[in-house]
Amino acid sequence: MNKVNKNRIGIYFWIFIAPAIVIYFTFSILPFLYTFFYSFTDYTDMNPVNLSWVGLENYVTVMKNSLMRVGIQNSLIYAILLTGFQVILGLPLAVLLDQKLKTQNLLRAIFFFPAVFSSLIIGYLWKYILSSAESGLINSLIVSMGFSTVNFFSSKFALYSIIFTQIWQWTGWAMVIFLANLQSVPLELMEAAQLDGAGSIKRFFSITLPLMCPSVKIVVVTGLIGGMKVFDAIYSMTGGGPGNATQTVMTIMMDKGISDGFYSVGAAFGVCFFVVVLILSAVVNKLMSKWSEAIG
Amino acid sequence: MRNLKKILFELIMICLAIVWFLPVYYLAVTTLKTQQDATLHPLALPSHWEFGNYINAWVKMEFPRALFNTFIITVSSVCILIFIGAFAGYALARAKNKTASFIFMLFLAGLIVPFHMNIISLYKIVKNMGLMNKLLGVILVDVAINMPQTIFLFKEFIENSVPWELEEAAIVDGCDVTRRVLLIVVPLLKPVVSTTVIIVTLNVWNEFMTPLLFLQSRAKGVILQEVSRNIGQFSTDWATMFPMLMLGVLPLIIFYIFMQKYIIAGVAAGGVKG
Repeated sequence: MNKVNKNRIGIYFWIFIAPAIVIYFTFSILPFLYTFFYSFTDYTDMNPVNLSWVGLENYVTVMKNSLMRVGIQNSLIYAILLTGFQVILGLPLAVLLDQKLKTQNLLRAIFFFPAVFSSLIIGYLWKYILSSAESGLINSLIVSMGFSTVNFFSSKFALYSIIFTQIWQWTGWAMVIFLANLQSVPLELMEAAQLDGAGSIKRFFSITLPLMCPSVKIVVVTGLIGGMKVFDAIYSMTGGGPGNATQTVMTIMMDKGISDGFYSVGAAFGVCFFVVVLILSAVVNKLMSKWSEAIG
Repeated sequence: MRNLKKILFELIMICLAIVWFLPVYYLAVTTLKTQQDATLHPLALPSHWEFGNYINAWVKMEFPRALFNTFIITVSSVCILIFIGAFAGYALARAKNKTASFIFMLFLAGLIVPFHMNIISLYKIVKNMGLMNKLLGVILVDVAINMPQTIFLFKEFIENSVPWELEEAAIVDGCDVTRRVLLIVVPLLKPVVSTTVIIVTLNVWNEFMTPLLFLQSRAKGVILQEVSRNIGQFSTDWATMFPMLMLGVLPLIIFYIFMQKYIIAGVAAGGVKG
């Protein structure tokens, strides 16, 4: 491979890339810069024009606001638990469905099925399944076994119930990513290990798992970043309640930032959210490269 | 003995899949029941099949209009992204200099920076451009959201699977850049186009926040907005509720049944979730 350090298409580079840059600049880069700008002003729905500089005031407001701290904390719990279970359940599932089975394709399709749909609709469906009324599917089963109903959306359980439903929805997605990676595990290596008398569990940990590093990284990084942004599932199942038990970064941003018109505080909160996501990605990258080195 | 073990293993996996599928079955079967039937025998097949629920839900959520809006937004976003992805991906794959790698880095950053942090300034920009309550506004924002991933996929694909040597031969024959792209590169892009179509279709069809922010009038609303609007109103009326959820996912179920193989392959190749 000889790396040519030049532009092979001259002026056409700019012609071809212009549409992408125009849209990306207007709807991604510009809003990003404005978010930082607004976070240092007194911009609200009552004061939309004559903005003045207020320094770090909005950031102090965010730090002092216990609701916003709860939101960041809940988003973190959600992202970490959901991602963890996606890996812990998705990996073995992928290994099992990598075996030659008659129903292999059908089984894969079924486990992946929930990932096709909007989390909003999946959320409404599970809201009914987990409903605390005796007519709720799970509770009717619990009652028929002679126990009393459980409130899955109490302030203590609600966040974990939501996480549970999202594990159901997204494990199949992780499985598909892992399955693609499994195709790169050399069959000869497995057969050699089998001849050496390594059991299937030992083979999984000493051969398969180290080779799965790339796909684990994809699932963990996208799972964590995606998890921090959770909105649809919360909106449909609890709307942030009961009380503020399931408020996340995005439910607060929509309520306080957009609906209530505290634009500048919302922008500062957005910047804090960005910083949390950056730290999270940096930590994951660090851990993942440690893992690569350890097995490398 | 080995065979028996294998059959047993397959049976266990099938049972697991049935349990996994139960919520979907429950959704489907409840849509065809009366409320009383649904409460008394939640998992049984309907005692008599009740299709009237669907008509009711169809009318109440103004389904044809919502479907039309969702469809327009999704198809437009997909087409724009394919066009942009092909040309920008080609430009970034063929220009190897500092400017090109800087621009590529800017797009890659979009994979990590959540657009959600910017909804306040995005709201203001869309409003100032007069795009509020217009499908075009949502289309452009959805295009911007999905652009980093699309450009990444196209650039990597062209770099790895569309050899420059092919184009060099055409240059000798006096072919200019535009003709080379249209006649040589584009026909080779089929795999990455299908990956992009699938990933972007799922992302945009299921996107709830951008319509919620930018489409206020009911006439412009998408399917998900109709579902969430009606669910508040009919939250105790299961017989109307469940068909609404079903209608909400039905277009994608049909898409999935026909495209299942490609969807799973596309998601695996795309590897990044929105």
